[in-house]
Amino acid sequence: MRHLLLSACFILCACMVEAQTRLSIKGRAVDTTSTALPFTTVMLLTPKDSALVSYARADENGRFELKNAKRGTYLLKMSYTGYLPFQTEVTPAEGAVTDLGDLKMKPISKELFEVVVKTAKAPLNIRGDTIEYNASSFKVPPGSTVEDLLRRLPGFQVEQDGSIRAQGQEVKRVTVDGKNFFGGDPKTATKNLNAEAIDKVQVYTSKTEQAKATGIDDGKKEKTVNLALKEEFKKGGFGKIKAGVGTDQRVDVRGNYNKFNDKQQFAVVASGNNINQSGMSWDDRQDFYGSSLFRWDETDFGFGGGITSGGNSGDGIIMQGGNIIIMNGGGGNDRGFNNTYSGGVNYNFETKKRKFTSNYYFNQRRNWTNQIINRQSILSDNAFETDSRSNEHTQNDNHKVQVRYEDNLDSLNTLIVLANGTINNSSYSQDLSQQNRRSATQLTNRTTQDNGNSALTLNLSGSALYRRKFKTKGKSFAASVSYLLNNGNSDAEQRSLNEFFDPTTGTPLFSRQLNLLNANRNRQNQIRSSLSYVQPISKRVFWESFYNFGVRSDKVDRDVFNQLEGNLRNDSLSRYYTNQIMHNRAGSGLRYNYKGTNISAGFAAINMNIAGKFSADQSSPNVMEVNRNYTIVVPGVSFNMDMKNNRYLYAEYAGNVEQPSIRDLQPIIDYSNPLYISQGNPNLKPTVNHEAYAGYQYFNPSSFTRFFGNINYNYAVNQVVYNQTIDSLLVTRTRPANVSGGQRFGTYLNVGFPLKKNKANISFNTNINFNRNYTLINDIENRTNNNSYNWGTNLELTPSEKFTFYGNANWSYSNVRYSINTTQNQKIWNQSYSGQMNVKLPWEAYFNATFDYRLYKNDRFGLNQNIPILNLAVYKLLGKAKKSEVRLSAYDLFRRNLGITQGASGNYFTQTRVETITRYFMLSYTYNMRGVKANMRRNNGF
Amino acid sequence: MKKKLLVVFGWLMVMCTYAQAQELEGTVTYERSTSYTKMVAKLPYLSQEEKDRAKMMWGNEEGDKQKMKLTFTPDQSLYTYIGEQGETDDGRWSWRQSDYVIQRNFEKQTLTELQEFAGKTYIIQDSLKAPKWKVLNQLKDIAGHICMKAETEDLVKNQKIIAWFADDIPVSVGPERMYGLPGIILELDYNDGVSVITATKVEMKKVDPKELALPKMKGKKINMADHDRIIKEHIKDSIGARRNPYWGVNLWN
Repeated sequence: MRHLLLSACFILCACMVEAQTRLSIKGRAVDTTSTALPFTTVMLLTPKDSALVSYARADENGRFELKNAKRGTYLLKMSYTGYLPFQTEVTPAEGAVTDLGDLKMKPISKELFEVVVKTAKAPLNIRGDTIEYNASSFKVPPGSTVEDLLRRLPGFQVEQDGSIRAQGQEVKRVTVDGKNFFGGDPKTATKNLNAEAIDKVQVYTSKTEQAKATGIDDGKKEKTVNLALKEEFKKGGFGKIKAGVGTDQRVDVRGNYNKFNDKQQFAVVASGNNINQSGMSWDDRQDFYGSSLFRWDETDFGFGGGITSGGNSGDGIIMQGGNIIIMNGGGGNDRGFNNTYSGGVNYNFETKKRKFTSNYYFNQRRNWTNQIINRQSILSDNAFETDSRSNEHTQNDNHKVQVRYEDNLDSLNTLIVLANGTINNSSYSQDLSQQNRRSATQLTNRTTQDNGNSALTLNLSGSALYRRKFKTKGKSFAASVSYLLNNGNSDAEQRSLNEFFDPTTGTPLFSRQLNLLNANRNRQNQIRSSLSYVQPISKRVFWESFYNFGVRSDKVDRDVFNQLEGNLRNDSLSRYYTNQIMHNRAGSGLRYNYKGTNISAGFAAINMNIAGKFSADQSSPNVMEVNRNYTIVVPGVSFNMDMKNNRYLYAEYAGNVEQPSIRDLQPIIDYSNPLYISQGNPNLKPTVNHEAYAGYQYFNPSSFTRFFGNINYNYAVNQVVYNQTIDSLLVTRTRPANVSGGQRFGTYLNVGFPLKKNKANISFNTNINFNRNYTLINDIENRTNNNSYNWGTNLELTPSEKFTFYGNANWSYSNVRYSINTTQNQKIWNQSYSGQMNVKLPWEAYFNATFDYRLYKNDRFGLNQNIPILNLAVYKLLGKAKKSEVRLSAYDLFRRNLGITQGASGNYFTQTRVETITRYFMLSYTYNMRGVKANMRRNNGF
Repeated sequence: MKKKLLVVFGWLMVMCTYAQAQELEGTVTYERSTSYTKMVAKLPYLSQEEKDRAKMMWGNEEGDKQKMKLTFTPDQSLYTYIGEQGETDDGRWSWRQSDYVIQRNFEKQTLTELQEFAGKTYIIQDSLKAPKWKVLNQLKDIAGHICMKAETEDLVKNQKIIAWFADDIPVSVGPERMYGLPGIILELDYNDGVSVITATKVEMKKVDPKELALPKMKGKKINMADHDRIIKEHIKDSIGARRNPYWGVNLWN
């Protein structure tokens, strides 16, 4: 009992002590007329950092009590809708309860509250006596000045003379980012600054300048407006420039500049070099095109293939006998020696409603190529070799203009208009000597050629695309119409001396001199239109349909004159033809989706009508006609599944129809190259490619283990192949024909994981392909099987910030078998090892080495070649902000860049060697406005 | 008579509590959007040029948007997706949503979360620990409610979190992991706008207990300390591997 009493005493004492350190804060929330503000929220904050300690709600009479607070100074904050938040510092009085009495809250002026907080949904910032407006919440037309903006802000008045009043008081001073603007005359700032540059407008009262200067507070206060600038208007643009000079007169100069803000993007780029670098890098492309780079507009809806657009913009393809000469427009061809100059301007304007993009790009390329081609052609009983040496010079000037305009007319309707134009001016000259031999010594024929060509092509295209969504989710309609025009004129000169030798004795039999002048006028017009309609059937099932229509008409006028016969027109080589391809495609299918499983299946029917008229000349009475009509139905199925823990499964199958080319359909023999005579086949049918693939991928973001795998299969029906007849003088005659059964089967696997997290990663990949192709060689069917097996491994070592190494090794083995002549079967071994090493040296200097070692082995030709290429660079970042870099680099230190490529296809094996740039040293300087970053590590995507 | 009075009084009591209870429970629909550009700008291994480039390329793109729902009573709240799948605006393409359910029980002071991150699904169970808030002087209208600004810091993911709470709905709940303010949280802003969760609709209505029930959950059971450790390690590893850590954690913030 006594114990109990004692305990009770203790508890009582403890309570009393506690009661002294804890306290209650009481009060009553009222408005300026002392009317109670019921249910006001009351918060107790620490004065130091406004941390919330406790909170309570007032009762219906506005009375509140915050109990059990630790003794100390607080900030008491009250909030009531429509009133300015009330804040006062509370120093507790003696005793357990501090009563603050009536606390008066001021209403927010109705104007401010309604306009700023309710209508504009703008955060109204109240910091002490500063009220802050979010400028972007008040819409002003583009080009408006700050004055126009201020007129729209509630509580502001701008007088006729430009003087400003805020909350009834005259504004004496306007500052920009806290700094006086032109001596602080308010009008100068507000009349000259662009409203778009302003992020926030802050209004506060400050001491007068005089009070600040003298330090004597005269009690006078004046209204000040501060304009806080938007982040991007502080930044300006970014850009870089690089200039390098090297041995062998190597030069590399490039630069770009960008400026952008929320709405506009502007970029210029220019470069010139003779180190075989044409085109732009991926980063440079992003910097140039900006946000428009990823805007693709599909104007042909649906699947199944069909009409080809023809005349790829920028690239002119010129046929000369059996030689196809591809004129690269802006492409990244680095064969031979190139002098490249390019430059462009891009401008984008983007708002949510409208998007506009325009750009112009110019590319000039001078190319010199000396090449040696060895080609082994397999016949049923034997083989023959073709050796050719050529010396080519190409000049190419390309101008390209693109314009795109997108208008989101309203939330349901979108209109896109596109226009592209390209002008390509090229000239080409070639010296060629070619020998065909039965064996190493037995010369059968020889041609020596001197060819020249100049061409001017013009491509124009325009498209309009309209998309409509409906209120019903998933229902949509789209329509597009496009017009394409390709116009090309070329003049070519072909001189050749063709000599033939007795295949057994090697004695000269006869020779033929051919000097031709070619004038080509080509014109292609195309109109295409496409419709798409999607109707939802249920929440998960959609019915999708499309229809495409296209009509393409070609007009080709080719006049060939024989120089040896006094420029007499050669009627058998001259040609005039017109043709029209009509194309109709319609399809329909169903789409289903549920929780990441997406399935679609459908059919497309394609009808093509090809009508052509061929004659030697416009006026010629002998007109051959070709008229073909095809209808083909192809299926399309796709399956995608998004599974738990970053695993995906996908599969697709589709039939793709490809029309025969006009060139292959012409029933005319072309012997402008006496060693390679080609003939068309008017009976060609369209090719249908059945393509299927399936894949699986997995990534673990914690362990960084990844796996990709896929299999793909392709089966061709009515593939167009070029059947060859080779006579005893090794003159090749080709004629296209349809063959079914060509197929390709491939698998790809890749697995990667860290050996030691963030220090060493390894990955392995394997790629196995089986190809089967058919051709007719001297009327015997030849099946070429090409089985290739590739293995590779990648190693990434990133042990520290001072040393990194990226290496990979690839081994490939190909087994090529010819059914007509098994003695010619080949086994090809290729290996490649490459590595990149980065080392950080003292004084902000870096060292970089890349090594590429390739080994080629082909027993059939006794080929065994090793090509090591080593590049080294040392560079140093300069300045505190590291905005510039000086670099000394060495390219192909061993002088082993031989420009070798090789490959087997059909019934031949080809090896090409192109003389190209080898060892040079270069000293370069880079200035980057945003700072140069040393490339020690590779980013794994962001 | 006495008895009758007692009954009336009792009824009044019930009515009062009922009236109040009815006021303080309901559902809030949120739109959650993530800005890719602002996210990239936080990656320490990218150069200023790379960040500016990303801003130019993607700055005007609308972020990823998700619709979320908070169901609450003064005692409990449950926050998860609206709808069982992620899908494009037109509904023709769907994707799987990673597991994400956040439950708070204020009565028992416990939390339960079903979350997928760093390649695994976890069930987090622990006692409640409210964030430490600072209340600031800013007002804004969200879904028709005047909200005040408060700020806290997430030391695990090292980010600043701004919450806008409406004191005219005096219930101390909020979306995601945030609660503990004098009113319901109607907007969250992580790291200066990387992710913003804004209420689009506030409905005050009686909540069926079923709506607060946890779904069937499968995953590894951990507590908050384990969670913090895994997330910290994931961030460290990802940054070390020059990989964006955000991709490994769906609904990162």
